Parts: sequence; C-alpha cells; structure tokens
Amino acid sequence: MAANPMSQFEVYRIGPEIKVGAFDISFTNASLFMVISSLAILIIFNLGSKKNSLLPNKLQLLTELSYNFVSKMIGDTAGSKARPYFAFIFSLFMFVLFCNMFGMIPYTFTVTSHIIVTFMLATFIFIGVTIIGFIKHGFGYLKLFVPSGVPIVLLPLIVVIEIISYLSRPISLSVRLFANMMAGHTMMKVFGGFVISLGIVGGWLPLSFSVALTGLEILVAFLQAYVFAILTCIYLNDALNLHH
Amino acid sequence: MSKDQFKTRLQIAKNKISKKNFYKKTQNSTSIGAAFKLSTELVSAVAVGTIIGFILDNTFDTKPWLIIIFFFVGVVAGIINVIRSAKKMQK
Repeated sequence: MAANPMSQFEVYRIGPEIKVGAFDISFTNASLFMVISSLAILIIFNLGSKKNSLLPNKLQLLTELSYNFVSKMIGDTAGSKARPYFAFIFSLFMFVLFCNMFGMIPYTFTVTSHIIVTFMLATFIFIGVTIIGFIKHGFGYLKLFVPSGVPIVLLPLIVVIEIISYLSRPISLSVRLFANMMAGHTMMKVFGGFVISLGIVGGWLPLSFSVALTGLEILVAFLQAYVFAILTCIYLNDALNLHH
Repeated sequence: MSKDQFKTRLQIAKNKISKKNFYKKTQNSTSIGAAFKLSTELVSAVAVGTIIGFILDNTFDTKPWLIIIFFFVGVVAGIINVIRSAKKMQK
C-alpha cells in the first residue's frame, strides 16, 4: 500500500451496496469523511455558542474568531448587500476547511482531493450566483457580458470572450482546490516512501523534508479554503453590484 | 511620578501594537493564494473555450475549424481574466 502514492485517493465502499436506478449511491469512505467533518463542525460550533460568557473559554473564542473572520471577509469583498448570504459562505468555508484539515491526519481520506466533490461545490455556487444575479437585475444581468464602450464591430467577439470567461469560473474554482490538495498529498506520500526505501542511513533528509512539507500543507489547506470562500464572495459581489 | 509611568507604559504598548500591524502587512500570506488563483484562471478559460469548440464542432460537423477558433478565443479570455484579477488585487 505504501508503494503507490495514489492509493490514498481510492474510494471504496463501506457497508452494503445501495443502487437507485443506474446510480450507485452506496456509503463510501469519502462520504464517511464528509459526515465526520460536518459532525465536527456541528459539535464544535454548538458547544462554542452555547454559553455566552463574558470571559470566553477556548471553544467560544474559536467560534467567535471564525465568525468575525468570515464576516470581515464578506464585508471587505462583497459589501453590506451580501449579509443575507453569510450563513451559506460560513458553512461553505468551514466545510472545505474541515475536509482539508481532516485530510492532514494520517490514515484519513481527503474529500477535497477529488475533482468531482470540488466541482459539485463550484457548480452549485455558480448556478446559485447566476440565479441571484437574474433575480436581482432581471435580464439586465446579461449586461455583464457586454462591457461598455466597445465598438459595434468588436461586440460579437467580446461577448463570446466574456461568456467563456464567465463559464470558466466554476472550473478554475474547483480545479484550484482539487489540484492543490491532490498534489500536496501525493508529494507527502512520495517523500514518505523515500524515507522507507533509503532506510536509516539516508532517510533523514526526506524525513526532514516531509516534516517541512506537512507544515506547508497545513498552510495550503487553510489557504485554499480561504481562497474558495473569498472567490465565492467576489462572484456574489459581481452578481449583487452590477458595474460594468 | 505615577502619571509618567503610565505614559511610558502606554507608549510601549502602542509601539508593540504598531509593530504587530507592520508585521501583519508585510507577511501577507494571501499572496500565495493570489498566485494560485492567477495560474488556474488562465488555464481554465482555455479549457472551457476548447470544450465549447469541440461540442460545436460535433453538432455542426465542421470538424477542425471551430475547435481551433474557440481555442484562441479561450486563450484571449484567459489573458483577460488574469489582467482583470491582477487589477482587482492592486486596488
């Protein structure tokens, strides 16, 4: 198992096989870790917000800090109009962050290292933001594809370019998270394999590298969750405050 | 005497705070995130353009032409994406 660095990404079934029509919806290790991270979020934030003491304990401090962090992020990037969407962005940020962080524990499975998971999240955001834009501005939202001050001759080309650039949003959003998580975890596994194969004589160098890489990966895990949430805010801002 | 002491202590505390703020600004770990953001934005627009060209080619039966055109349109869209987000970052 240690020989193949990609075997950590394998999805396998836990428990019985469940089939609905042609779709296989059995419970896998990926779904197990999604459930674990959502339960962890629920438990931590429930306990943290239960007792509102003036002198907060650690859990309450954590809850309040993360609340402030996300609320400041939304205020900076999307403005006051985005306040109703706080709950969505907060849960999105926390879910991605916890999935990434649970993946850092050895022998766990990183849910976000699969493109289908991140792509579903990004597609959901993309469709939601588009619907919000159409609700807020009606067909005026299509002005997003027609920048002002463009000569008529160039207009067809510009509109096609704008549409492609708009459609590329979910792909860039999902590929970024997926690629970072997968590349980092593969690299850690490869260096871990070097430690074993070089033995006690030469294994110290990859071991030290592996330790440094773990620190970097924790940074990347946080950073990618942050980037994912902040880009959602930016897209939301484009939909709420149309200025083109 | 006690007033002076308080003043010096206040000064020290203020210095500490300003130092902290300075470090926060120079550290700026979000710049790594910005770098990742730019690179994927360029690539994803090219991918989307190529996919659209491929689909249109299959529907209109104009095999190599639309995919070539849309590939280059995708490249242009990617470059525009990068320029736009770079401008956003400078604000």
